[in-house]
Amino acid sequence: MILHPTVIANLLASCIVSFMVLYASYYGVQILRHWDIRSGDELQLILERKTYLISTLLTFVFGLQLLSLFLYIFTADVLCPLFVGAMCAAGTLNVNEFGYPTLVLKIINFILAGIWLVLNYADNQGYDYPLIKIKYLLLVFIAPFIVLETALASAYFLNMEADVITSCCGSLFSAEETAAGLGSEIAALPARTMLWIFYLAMACSLAAGIYFYLKGKGGYLYALVSLLVFGIALVSIVSFISLYIYELPTHHCPFCIIMEEYDYIGYLLYILLFGAVVAGIGIGALLPFRHVPSLQNVLGGFIRRLALASVVLYAAFTALVTYEIISSNLIM
Amino acid sequence: MIELVNVRKVFNAGNPSEFSALNSVNLTIAQNRVTVLKGPSGSGKTTLLSVIGCMSRPSAGRVHLNGREITSLPERFLTDIRRKTFGFIFQQPNLIKGISVLENVMLPAYPLGEKRSQLKKKAMQGLADLNIAGKSASKVEWLSGGEAQRASIVRALINDPAIIIADEPTAHLDTTLSYRFMEIIEKFKAEGKTVIITSHDPLVYEAAIVDRVVNLRDGRIEGGTA
Repeated sequence: MILHPTVIANLLASCIVSFMVLYASYYGVQILRHWDIRSGDELQLILERKTYLISTLLTFVFGLQLLSLFLYIFTADVLCPLFVGAMCAAGTLNVNEFGYPTLVLKIINFILAGIWLVLNYADNQGYDYPLIKIKYLLLVFIAPFIVLETALASAYFLNMEADVITSCCGSLFSAEETAAGLGSEIAALPARTMLWIFYLAMACSLAAGIYFYLKGKGGYLYALVSLLVFGIALVSIVSFISLYIYELPTHHCPFCIIMEEYDYIGYLLYILLFGAVVAGIGIGALLPFRHVPSLQNVLGGFIRRLALASVVLYAAFTALVTYEIISSNLIM
Repeated sequence: MIELVNVRKVFNAGNPSEFSALNSVNLTIAQNRVTVLKGPSGSGKTTLLSVIGCMSRPSAGRVHLNGREITSLPERFLTDIRRKTFGFIFQQPNLIKGISVLENVMLPAYPLGEKRSQLKKKAMQGLADLNIAGKSASKVEWLSGGEAQRASIVRALINDPAIIIADEPTAHLDTTLSYRFMEIIEKFKAEGKTVIITSHDPLVYEAAIVDRVVNLRDGRIEGGTA
Protein backbone atom coordinates (compact mmCIF):
# COMPACT_ATOMS: atom_id res chain seq x y z
CA MET A 1 0.00 0.00 0.00
CA ILE A 2 1.15 3.53 -0.70
CA LEU A 3 0.46 5.83 2.22
CA HIS A 4 -0.68 8.97 0.49
CA PRO A 5 -3.32 11.38 1.85
CA THR A 6 -5.54 10.86 -1.19
CA VAL A 7 -5.39 7.06 -0.79
CA ILE A 8 -6.39 7.37 2.86
CA ALA A 9 -9.18 9.77 1.89
CA ASN A 10 -10.46 7.29 -0.72
CA LEU A 11 -10.42 4.36 1.67
CA LEU A 12 -12.05 6.39 4.44
CA ALA A 13 -14.78 7.66 2.10
CA SER A 14 -15.47 4.13 0.83
CA CYS A 15 -15.60 2.66 4.33
CA ILE A 16 -17.89 5.44 5.61
CA VAL A 17 -20.26 5.07 2.66
CA SER A 18 -20.34 1.27 2.98
CA PHE A 19 -20.92 1.35 6.73
CA MET A 20 -23.70 3.92 6.49
CA VAL A 21 -25.38 2.20 3.55
CA LEU A 22 -25.32 -1.15 5.37
CA TYR A 23 -26.68 0.49 8.52
CA ALA A 24 -29.43 2.20 6.52
CA SER A 25 -30.18 -1.01 4.62
CA TYR A 26 -30.80 -2.81 7.91
CA TYR A 27 -33.55 -0.30 8.70
CA GLY A 28 -34.56 -0.33 5.04
CA VAL A 29 -35.37 -4.03 5.32
CA GLN A 30 -37.40 -3.36 8.47
CA ILE A 31 -39.28 -0.61 6.66
CA LEU A 32 -39.95 -2.88 3.69
CA ARG A 33 -41.28 -5.57 6.03
CA HIS A 34 -43.18 -3.61 8.68
CA TRP A 35 -44.08 -0.15 7.30
CA ASP A 36 -47.78 0.62 7.66
CA ILE A 37 -48.61 4.33 7.74
CA ARG A 38 -52.16 3.60 9.00
CA SER A 39 -50.83 1.90 12.11
CA GLY A 40 -50.10 3.75 15.34
CA ASP A 41 -47.93 0.95 16.69
CA GLU A 42 -44.74 1.78 18.53
CA LEU A 43 -42.64 0.09 15.83
CA GLN A 44 -44.27 2.18 13.10
CA LEU A 45 -43.57 5.41 14.98
CA ILE A 46 -39.97 4.33 15.60
CA LEU A 47 -39.56 3.63 11.87
CA GLU A 48 -41.02 7.06 11.03
CA ARG A 49 -38.44 8.73 13.27
CA LYS A 50 -35.64 6.50 11.97
CA THR A 51 -36.37 7.15 8.31
CA TYR A 52 -36.17 10.89 8.93
CA LEU A 53 -32.71 10.48 10.43
CA ILE A 54 -31.51 7.87 7.95
CA SER A 55 -32.64 9.69 4.82
CA THR A 56 -30.93 12.86 6.06
CA LEU A 57 -27.70 10.97 6.74
CA LEU A 58 -27.89 9.13 3.42
CA THR A 59 -28.22 12.43 1.58
CA PHE A 60 -24.75 13.37 2.83
CA VAL A 61 -23.39 9.83 2.40
CA PHE A 62 -24.50 9.62 -1.22
CA GLY A 63 -23.22 13.16 -1.75
CA LEU A 64 -19.86 11.79 -0.60
CA GLN A 65 -20.31 8.85 -2.97
CA LEU A 66 -20.78 11.27 -5.89
CA LEU A 67 -17.66 13.19 -4.93
CA SER A 68 -15.67 9.99 -4.43
CA LEU A 69 -15.72 9.26 -8.17
CA PHE A 70 -13.80 12.47 -8.84
CA LEU A 71 -11.59 11.87 -5.81
CA TYR A 72 -10.72 8.45 -7.19
CA ILE A 73 -9.76 9.85 -10.59
CA PHE A 74 -7.84 12.68 -8.93
CA THR A 75 -5.95 10.16 -6.76
CA ALA A 76 -5.02 8.03 -9.74
CA ASP A 77 -3.78 11.16 -11.48
CA VAL A 78 -1.79 12.39 -8.47
CA LEU A 79 -0.12 9.01 -7.93
CA CYS A 80 1.04 8.48 -11.52
CA PRO A 81 4.62 9.78 -10.94
CA LEU A 82 5.13 6.91 -8.49
CA PHE A 83 4.75 4.18 -11.12
CA VAL A 84 7.17 3.51 -13.93
CA GLY A 85 5.39 3.85 -17.24
CA ALA A 86 2.33 5.72 -15.91
CA MET A 87 1.88 9.13 -17.53
CA CYS A 88 -1.58 9.87 -16.09
CA ALA A 89 -4.46 8.23 -14.20
CA ALA A 90 -4.82 5.63 -16.96
CA GLY A 91 -1.48 4.07 -16.06
CA THR A 92 -2.09 4.25 -12.30
CA LEU A 93 -5.41 2.46 -12.67
CA ASN A 94 -3.57 -0.27 -14.56
CA VAL A 95 -1.02 -1.04 -11.81
CA ASN A 96 -3.11 -4.01 -10.72
CA GLU A 97 -6.27 -5.80 -11.82
CA PHE A 98 -8.56 -3.87 -9.42
CA GLY A 99 -8.13 -0.31 -10.71
CA TYR A 100 -10.46 -0.30 -13.70
CA PRO A 101 -13.19 -2.53 -12.16
CA THR A 102 -13.30 -0.08 -9.24
CA LEU A 103 -13.70 2.81 -11.68
CA VAL A 104 -16.54 1.05 -13.51
CA LEU A 105 -18.31 0.37 -10.21
CA LYS A 106 -17.80 3.96 -9.11
CA ILE A 107 -19.48 5.15 -12.32
CA ILE A 108 -22.40 2.74 -11.82
CA ASN A 109 -22.71 3.71 -8.15
CA PHE A 110 -22.58 7.40 -9.04
CA ILE A 111 -25.65 6.97 -11.22
CA LEU A 112 -27.45 4.74 -8.70
CA ALA A 113 -26.68 7.13 -5.82
CA GLY A 114 -27.85 10.05 -7.95
CA ILE A 115 -31.16 8.30 -8.69
CA TRP A 116 -31.58 7.53 -4.98
CA LEU A 117 -31.05 11.20 -4.13
CA VAL A 118 -33.65 12.20 -6.73
CA LEU A 119 -36.16 9.69 -5.31
CA ASN A 120 -35.40 10.80 -1.76
CA TYR A 121 -35.94 14.46 -2.62
CA ALA A 122 -39.27 13.60 -4.25
CA ASP A 123 -40.30 11.46 -1.27
CA ASN A 124 -39.58 14.35 1.10
CA GLN A 125 -42.05 16.53 -0.83
CA GLY A 126 -44.97 14.28 0.16
CA TYR A 127 -46.56 14.34 3.61
CA ASP A 128 -47.19 10.59 3.71
CA TYR A 129 -43.78 9.15 2.70
CA PRO A 130 -45.15 8.20 -0.73
CA LEU A 131 -41.94 6.69 -2.13
CA ILE A 132 -40.52 5.24 1.05
CA LYS A 133 -40.69 1.58 0.04
CA ILE A 134 -39.36 2.33 -3.45
CA LYS A 135 -36.37 4.27 -2.16
CA TYR A 136 -35.46 1.68 0.46
CA LEU A 137 -35.85 -1.10 -2.10
CA LEU A 138 -33.41 0.81 -4.29
CA LEU A 139 -31.11 1.26 -1.29
CA VAL A 140 -31.10 -2.48 -0.60
CA PHE A 141 -30.32 -3.00 -4.30
CA ILE A 142 -27.48 -0.45 -4.22
CA ALA A 143 -25.88 -1.76 -1.00
CA PRO A 144 -24.09 -4.80 -2.55
CA PHE A 145 -22.62 -2.59 -5.29
CA ILE A 146 -21.32 -0.13 -2.71
CA VAL A 147 -19.80 -2.90 -0.59
CA LEU A 148 -18.24 -4.51 -3.67
CA GLU A 149 -16.82 -1.13 -4.67
CA THR A 150 -15.26 -0.74 -1.22
CA ALA A 151 -13.78 -4.23 -1.44
CA LEU A 152 -12.34 -3.56 -4.91
CA ALA A 153 -11.06 -0.09 -3.97
CA SER A 154 -9.40 -1.55 -0.87
CA ALA A 155 -7.85 -4.34 -2.93
CA TYR A 156 -6.67 -1.77 -5.46
CA PHE A 157 -5.07 0.61 -3.00
CA LEU A 158 -3.72 -2.08 -0.63
CA ASN A 159 -2.08 -4.00 -3.50
CA MET A 160 -0.35 -1.02 -5.08
CA GLU A 161 3.33 -1.83 -5.51
CA ALA A 162 5.68 1.00 -6.37
CA ASP A 163 8.04 -1.25 -8.33
CA VAL A 164 5.40 -2.30 -10.85
CA ILE A 165 5.97 -1.23 -14.43
CA THR A 166 2.61 -0.21 -15.83
CA SER A 167 1.30 0.84 -19.21
CA CYS A 168 0.94 4.44 -20.29
CA CYS A 169 -2.27 5.82 -21.70
CA GLY A 170 -0.70 5.87 -25.16
CA SER A 171 -0.75 2.06 -25.25
CA LEU A 172 -4.01 1.59 -23.30
CA PHE A 173 -5.95 3.88 -25.62
CA SER A 174 -4.13 3.27 -28.88
CA ALA A 175 -5.91 3.21 -32.22
CA GLU A 176 -3.26 0.97 -33.75
CA GLU A 177 -4.37 -2.43 -34.97
CA THR A 178 -1.88 -4.26 -32.76
CA ALA A 179 -3.37 -2.77 -29.57
CA ALA A 180 -5.93 -4.77 -27.60
CA GLY A 181 -8.53 -3.93 -24.96
CA LEU A 182 -11.76 -1.95 -24.78
CA GLY A 183 -9.96 1.41 -24.63
CA SER A 184 -8.07 0.65 -27.81
CA GLU A 185 -11.18 -0.64 -29.56
CA ILE A 186 -12.98 2.61 -28.78
CA ALA A 187 -9.94 4.63 -29.82
CA ALA A 188 -9.91 2.75 -33.12
CA LEU A 189 -13.43 3.92 -34.00
CA PRO A 190 -13.41 6.35 -36.93
CA ALA A 191 -13.17 9.80 -35.35
CA ARG A 192 -15.10 11.71 -38.03
CA THR A 193 -18.01 9.22 -37.96
CA MET A 194 -18.07 9.39 -34.17
CA LEU A 195 -18.16 13.19 -34.37
CA TRP A 196 -21.32 13.04 -36.48
CA ILE A 197 -22.87 10.38 -34.25
CA PHE A 198 -22.10 12.52 -31.21
CA TYR A 199 -23.72 15.67 -32.60
CA LEU A 200 -26.69 13.72 -33.95
CA ALA A 201 -27.20 12.02 -30.58
CA MET A 202 -26.90 15.31 -28.72
CA ALA A 203 -29.36 16.99 -31.10
CA CYS A 204 -31.87 14.15 -30.58
CA SER A 205 -31.35 14.31 -26.82
CA LEU A 206 -31.81 18.08 -26.64
CA ALA A 207 -34.88 17.92 -28.91
CA ALA A 208 -36.44 15.15 -26.79
CA GLY A 209 -35.59 17.00 -23.58
CA ILE A 210 -36.98 20.34 -24.74
CA TYR A 211 -40.11 18.62 -26.10
CA PHE A 212 -40.67 16.92 -22.74
CA TYR A 213 -40.00 20.17 -20.86
CA LEU A 214 -42.51 22.10 -22.98
CA LYS A 215 -45.20 19.48 -23.64
CA GLY A 216 -44.76 17.07 -20.72
CA LYS A 217 -44.69 14.10 -23.11
CA GLY A 218 -41.96 11.60 -23.92
CA GLY A 219 -40.37 11.54 -20.47
CA TYR A 220 -39.45 7.86 -20.58
CA LEU A 221 -38.00 8.35 -24.05
CA TYR A 222 -35.85 11.21 -22.81
CA ALA A 223 -34.64 9.16 -19.85
CA LEU A 224 -33.59 6.38 -22.21
CA VAL A 225 -32.04 8.78 -24.71
CA SER A 226 -30.10 10.57 -21.97
CA LEU A 227 -28.58 7.23 -20.88
CA LEU A 228 -27.66 6.35 -24.48
CA VAL A 229 -26.20 9.80 -25.08
CA PHE A 230 -24.16 9.46 -21.90
CA GLY A 231 -22.57 6.30 -23.30
CA ILE A 232 -22.01 7.91 -26.70
CA ALA A 233 -20.41 10.96 -25.03
CA LEU A 234 -18.01 8.76 -23.04
CA VAL A 235 -17.02 6.91 -26.22
CA SER A 236 -16.71 10.26 -28.04
CA ILE A 237 -14.29 11.58 -25.44
CA VAL A 238 -11.94 8.70 -26.23
CA SER A 239 -12.67 8.66 -29.93
CA PHE A 240 -12.36 12.30 -31.01
CA ILE A 241 -12.91 14.92 -28.27
CA SER A 242 -9.58 14.09 -26.62
CA LEU A 243 -7.79 14.44 -29.98
CA TYR A 244 -8.93 18.06 -30.32
CA ILE A 245 -8.05 18.89 -26.72
CA TYR A 246 -4.53 17.41 -26.99
CA GLU A 247 -4.19 18.63 -30.58
CA LEU A 248 -2.71 15.24 -31.40
CA PRO A 249 -4.34 12.87 -33.88
CA THR A 250 -3.15 9.76 -32.02
CA HIS A 251 -3.69 10.57 -28.34
CA HIS A 252 -7.07 9.23 -27.18
CA CYS A 253 -6.63 9.19 -23.38
CA PRO A 254 -9.78 10.16 -21.41
CA PHE A 255 -7.69 10.87 -18.29
CA CYS A 256 -5.00 13.31 -19.46
CA ILE A 257 -7.75 15.91 -19.94
CA ILE A 258 -8.08 16.22 -16.16
CA MET A 259 -4.48 17.38 -15.86
CA GLU A 260 -3.29 20.93 -15.23
CA GLU A 261 -1.76 21.12 -18.73
CA TYR A 262 -5.27 21.07 -20.15
CA ASP A 263 -6.73 23.44 -17.55
CA TYR A 264 -8.49 20.56 -15.78
CA ILE A 265 -11.08 20.71 -18.57
CA GLY A 266 -11.82 17.00 -18.09
CA TYR A 267 -13.33 17.56 -14.65
CA LEU A 268 -15.77 20.10 -16.08
CA LEU A 269 -16.68 17.81 -18.97
CA TYR A 270 -17.29 14.83 -16.68
CA ILE A 271 -19.25 16.86 -14.12
CA LEU A 272 -21.57 18.16 -16.85
CA LEU A 273 -21.97 14.70 -18.33
CA PHE A 274 -22.64 12.84 -15.08
CA GLY A 275 -24.98 15.57 -13.82
CA ALA A 276 -26.95 15.41 -17.07
CA VAL A 277 -27.38 11.65 -17.05
CA VAL A 278 -28.47 11.50 -13.40
CA ALA A 279 -31.06 14.24 -13.98
CA GLY A 280 -32.20 12.53 -17.19
CA ILE A 281 -32.62 9.08 -15.68
CA GLY A 282 -34.18 10.67 -12.61
CA ILE A 283 -37.08 11.75 -14.83
CA GLY A 284 -37.76 8.14 -15.80
CA ALA A 285 -37.47 7.06 -12.17
CA LEU A 286 -40.06 9.61 -11.01
CA LEU A 287 -42.61 9.51 -13.83
CA PRO A 288 -44.47 6.42 -12.54
CA PHE A 289 -45.29 8.33 -9.34
CA ARG A 290 -46.57 11.62 -10.75
CA HIS A 291 -50.19 10.68 -9.98
CA VAL A 292 -49.57 9.75 -6.34
CA PRO A 293 -52.06 12.04 -4.50
CA SER A 294 -49.58 13.63 -2.09
CA LEU A 295 -47.09 14.31 -4.90
CA GLN A 296 -49.24 15.30 -7.85
CA ASN A 297 -49.03 19.00 -7.08
CA VAL A 298 -45.26 19.08 -6.66
CA LEU A 299 -43.76 16.23 -8.65
CA GLY A 300 -44.63 17.66 -12.07
CA GLY A 301 -42.63 20.80 -11.33
CA PHE A 302 -39.68 18.85 -9.97
CA ILE A 303 -39.59 16.54 -13.00
CA ARG A 304 -39.64 19.57 -15.30
CA ARG A 305 -36.75 21.10 -13.35
CA LEU A 306 -34.83 17.84 -13.75
CA ALA A 307 -35.51 17.90 -17.48
CA LEU A 308 -34.31 21.48 -17.71
CA ALA A 309 -31.19 20.67 -15.68
CA SER A 310 -30.40 17.65 -17.85
CA VAL A 311 -30.93 19.58 -21.11
CA VAL A 312 -28.86 22.55 -19.90
CA LEU A 313 -26.01 20.28 -18.73
CA TYR A 314 -25.96 18.32 -22.01
CA ALA A 315 -26.12 21.58 -23.96
CA ALA A 316 -23.25 23.00 -21.89
CA PHE A 317 -21.25 19.80 -22.49
CA THR A 318 -21.87 20.04 -26.24
CA ALA A 319 -21.00 23.74 -26.26
CA LEU A 320 -17.75 23.07 -24.39
CA VAL A 321 -16.81 20.24 -26.77
CA THR A 322 -17.61 22.48 -29.74
CA TYR A 323 -15.48 25.26 -28.29
CA GLU A 324 -12.57 22.82 -27.84
CA ILE A 325 -12.93 21.63 -31.43
CA ILE A 326 -13.15 25.15 -32.86
CA SER A 327 -10.27 26.52 -30.80
CA SER A 328 -8.06 23.47 -31.43
CA ASN A 329 -5.13 23.61 -33.86
CA LEU A 330 -5.86 20.05 -34.91
CA ILE A 331 -7.46 19.65 -38.33
CA MET A 332 -8.83 16.24 -39.20
CA MET B 1 -61.80 18.55 15.98
CA ILE B 2 -58.80 16.89 17.62
CA GLU B 3 -58.85 13.16 18.17
CA LEU B 4 -56.24 11.17 20.06
CA VAL B 5 -56.18 7.41 19.56
CA ASN B 6 -54.26 5.16 21.99
CA VAL B 7 -51.60 7.78 22.58
CA ARG B 8 -48.59 6.70 24.66
CA LYS B 9 -45.57 8.77 25.54
CA VAL B 10 -42.55 7.12 27.10
CA PHE B 11 -39.43 9.01 28.12
CA ASN B 12 -36.01 7.28 28.25
CA ALA B 13 -37.45 4.12 26.72
CA GLY B 14 -35.33 1.06 27.38
CA ASN B 15 -33.35 2.74 30.16
CA PRO B 16 -33.66 2.08 33.90
CA SER B 17 -35.12 5.60 34.16
CA GLU B 18 -37.91 4.81 31.68
CA PHE B 19 -41.02 6.77 32.49
CA SER B 20 -44.40 6.45 30.87
CA ALA B 21 -46.02 9.90 30.96
CA LEU B 22 -49.11 8.99 28.91
CA ASN B 23 -50.77 5.58 28.71
CA SER B 24 -53.32 4.69 26.04
CA VAL B 25 -55.00 8.09 26.00
CA ASN B 26 -58.14 8.26 23.87
CA LEU B 27 -59.59 11.74 23.73
CA THR B 28 -61.75 13.83 21.44
CA ILE B 29 -61.69 17.62 21.70
CA ALA B 30 -64.47 19.50 19.96
CA GLN B 31 -64.01 22.67 17.94
CA ASN B 32 -64.90 26.08 19.36
CA ARG B 33 -64.96 24.78 22.91
CA VAL B 34 -62.89 25.52 25.98
CA THR B 35 -61.40 22.29 27.32
CA VAL B 36 -59.41 22.10 30.53
CA LEU B 37 -56.97 19.25 31.20
CA LYS B 38 -56.93 18.95 34.96
CA GLY B 39 -54.80 16.83 37.22
CA PRO B 40 -52.05 16.82 39.84
CA SER B 41 -48.41 17.46 39.04
CA GLY B 42 -46.95 14.58 37.05
CA SER B 43 -50.32 13.45 35.74
CA GLY B 44 -49.26 14.05 32.13
CA LYS B 45 -51.12 17.31 31.41
CA THR B 46 -48.21 19.16 29.83
CA THR B 47 -47.04 16.08 27.92
CA LEU B 48 -50.51 15.61 26.51
CA LEU B 49 -50.67 19.28 25.57
CA SER B 50 -47.30 19.09 23.82
CA VAL B 51 -48.45 16.05 21.82
CA ILE B 52 -51.69 17.79 20.82
CA GLY B 53 -49.78 20.93 19.85
CA CYS B 54 -47.29 18.97 17.67
CA MET B 55 -44.41 20.00 19.92
CA SER B 56 -43.55 16.36 20.61
CA ARG B 57 -44.42 13.07 18.97
CA PRO B 58 -46.09 10.20 20.82
CA SER B 59 -44.26 6.90 21.32
CA ALA B 60 -47.35 5.11 20.02
CA GLY B 61 -50.82 6.08 18.87
CA ARG B 62 -52.10 8.70 16.49
CA VAL B 63 -53.44 12.26 16.66
CA HIS B 64 -55.96 13.46 14.09
CA LEU B 65 -56.56 17.15 13.45
CA ASN B 66 -59.80 17.87 11.58
CA GLY B 67 -59.70 14.32 10.21
CA ARG B 68 -56.07 14.52 9.09
CA GLU B 69 -53.55 12.26 10.79
CA ILE B 70 -50.68 14.48 11.93
CA THR B 71 -48.31 12.37 14.04
CA SER B 72 -46.75 10.67 11.02
CA LEU B 73 -46.06 13.93 9.20
CA PRO B 74 -42.45 14.72 8.33
CA GLU B 75 -41.05 17.55 10.43
CA ARG B 76 -41.39 20.35 7.88
CA PHE B 77 -45.10 19.63 7.39
CA LEU B 78 -45.57 19.45 11.14
CA THR B 79 -43.81 22.79 11.58
CA ASP B 80 -46.20 24.36 9.12
CA ILE B 81 -49.23 23.03 10.99
CA ARG B 82 -47.78 24.07 14.34
CA ARG B 83 -47.09 27.56 13.05
CA LYS B 84 -50.46 28.17 11.42
CA THR B 85 -52.86 26.14 13.57
CA PHE B 86 -51.67 26.49 17.13
CA GLY B 87 -51.01 29.46 19.37
CA PHE B 88 -49.03 28.68 22.49
CA ILE B 89 -49.33 30.41 25.86
CA PHE B 90 -46.83 29.08 28.35
CA GLN B 91 -46.66 29.12 32.14
CA GLN B 92 -43.91 31.73 31.89
CA PRO B 93 -44.36 34.46 29.26
CA ASN B 94 -41.05 33.36 27.63
CA LEU B 95 -40.57 36.74 25.97
CA ILE B 96 -37.16 37.50 24.52
CA LYS B 97 -35.32 40.09 26.54
CA GLY B 98 -33.50 42.96 24.90
CA ILE B 99 -36.07 43.54 22.17
CA SER B 100 -39.33 45.42 22.26
CA VAL B 101 -42.78 44.06 23.00
CA LEU B 102 -43.78 44.69 19.39
CA GLU B 103 -40.78 42.72 18.03
CA ASN B 104 -41.57 39.86 20.43
CA VAL B 105 -45.14 39.75 19.24
CA MET B 106 -44.19 39.79 15.55
CA LEU B 107 -41.47 37.10 15.83
CA PRO B 108 -43.61 33.96 15.17
CA ALA B 109 -44.94 35.53 11.96
CA TYR B 110 -41.54 36.21 10.38
CA PRO B 111 -41.15 32.73 8.78
CA LEU B 112 -44.45 33.23 6.93
CA GLY B 113 -43.03 36.20 5.05
CA GLU B 114 -45.91 38.57 5.58
CA LYS B 115 -45.28 42.20 4.64
CA ARG B 116 -43.78 43.97 7.64
CA SER B 117 -46.12 46.95 7.51
CA GLN B 118 -49.18 44.67 7.56
CA LEU B 119 -47.67 42.53 10.27
CA LYS B 120 -46.93 45.56 12.41
CA LYS B 121 -50.47 46.79 11.97
CA LYS B 122 -51.84 43.40 13.03
CA ALA B 123 -49.52 43.22 16.05
CA MET B 124 -50.47 46.74 17.16
CA GLN B 125 -54.15 45.85 16.86
CA GLY B 126 -53.57 42.75 19.01
CA LEU B 127 -51.75 44.79 21.64
CA ALA B 128 -54.53 47.41 21.59
CA ASP B 129 -57.17 44.69 22.07
CA LEU B 130 -55.43 43.66 25.29
CA ASN B 131 -54.78 47.24 26.39
CA ILE B 132 -51.00 47.21 26.14
CA ALA B 133 -50.52 49.13 22.89
CA GLY B 134 -48.82 51.85 24.92
CA LYS B 135 -46.06 49.39 25.84
CA SER B 136 -45.30 48.28 22.28
CA ALA B 137 -41.96 50.09 22.13
CA SER B 138 -40.95 49.09 25.65
CA LYS B 139 -38.41 46.40 26.27
CA VAL B 140 -40.04 43.30 27.74
CA GLU B 141 -37.99 43.41 30.93
CA TRP B 142 -39.80 46.64 31.84
CA LEU B 143 -43.24 44.93 31.83
CA SER B 144 -45.19 43.83 34.88
CA GLY B 145 -46.23 40.17 35.21
CA GLY B 146 -49.70 40.81 33.85
CA GLU B 147 -48.44 42.90 30.94
CA ALA B 148 -45.88 40.24 30.04
CA GLN B 149 -48.61 37.59 30.11
CA ARG B 150 -50.81 39.69 27.82
CA ALA B 151 -47.89 40.30 25.45
CA SER B 152 -47.33 36.53 25.26
CA ILE B 153 -51.05 36.08 24.46
CA VAL B 154 -50.83 38.59 21.60
CA ARG B 155 -47.74 36.73 20.35
CA ALA B 156 -49.71 33.45 20.43
CA LEU B 157 -52.41 35.05 18.30
CA ILE B 158 -50.22 36.74 15.70
CA ASN B 159 -50.68 33.97 13.09
CA ASP B 160 -54.42 33.83 13.78
CA PRO B 161 -54.39 30.20 15.00
CA ALA B 162 -57.60 28.19 15.20
CA ILE B 163 -56.47 26.47 18.39
CA ILE B 164 -55.06 28.18 21.48
CA ILE B 165 -53.02 26.02 23.82
CA ALA B 166 -52.29 27.35 27.30
CA ASP B 167 -50.10 25.50 29.78
CA GLU B 168 -50.83 26.51 33.39
CA PRO B 169 -51.45 30.11 32.28
CA THR B 170 -52.51 31.41 35.70
CA ALA B 171 -49.72 29.77 37.71
CA HIS B 172 -47.87 33.06 38.07
CA LEU B 173 -50.82 35.42 38.07
CA ASP B 174 -52.69 36.86 41.02
CA THR B 175 -56.46 36.45 41.30
CA THR B 176 -57.34 39.69 39.49
CA LEU B 177 -55.05 38.91 36.59
CA SER B 178 -56.31 35.32 36.48
CA TYR B 179 -59.89 36.59 36.09
CA ARG B 180 -58.67 38.98 33.43
CA PHE B 181 -57.02 36.05 31.64
CA MET B 182 -60.29 34.06 31.69
CA GLU B 183 -62.10 37.06 30.20
CA ILE B 184 -59.62 36.95 27.33
CA ILE B 185 -60.29 33.23 26.89
CA GLU B 186 -64.02 34.00 26.73
CA LYS B 187 -63.26 36.44 23.92
CA PHE B 188 -61.33 33.75 22.03
CA LYS B 189 -64.28 31.41 22.36
CA ALA B 190 -66.62 34.08 21.04
CA GLU B 191 -64.31 34.45 18.03
CA GLY B 192 -64.74 30.74 17.28
CA LYS B 193 -61.37 29.53 18.49
CA THR B 194 -60.75 26.21 20.21
CA VAL B 195 -59.01 26.58 23.56
CA ILE B 196 -57.17 23.86 25.45
CA ILE B 197 -55.84 24.73 28.90
CA THR B 198 -53.94 22.65 31.41
CA SER B 199 -54.53 23.77 34.96
CA HIS B 200 -55.13 22.66 38.50
CA ASP B 201 -56.37 26.14 39.43
CA PRO B 202 -60.10 26.02 40.43
CA LEU B 203 -60.46 29.55 39.12
CA VAL B 204 -59.79 28.10 35.66
CA TYR B 205 -61.54 24.73 35.61
CA GLU B 206 -64.59 26.00 37.50
CA ALA B 207 -65.05 29.02 35.24
CA ALA B 208 -68.43 29.29 33.51
CA ILE B 209 -66.89 29.49 30.03
CA VAL B 210 -65.21 26.09 30.37
CA ASP B 211 -67.17 23.54 28.37
CA ARG B 212 -65.36 20.45 29.48
CA VAL B 213 -62.91 19.30 32.12
CA VAL B 214 -60.77 16.22 31.40
CA ASN B 215 -59.25 14.66 34.53
CA LEU B 216 -55.81 13.12 34.19
CA ARG B 217 -54.01 10.93 36.69
CA ASP B 218 -50.84 8.88 36.22
CA GLY B 219 -50.89 9.48 32.49
CA ARG B 220 -54.42 8.20 32.04
CA ILE B 221 -57.77 9.87 31.62
CA GLU B 222 -59.94 9.16 34.62
CA GLY B 223 -62.92 7.19 33.43
CA GLY B 224 -61.04 5.85 30.37
CA THR B 225 -62.00 7.36 27.03
CA ALA B 226 -63.11 10.98 27.04
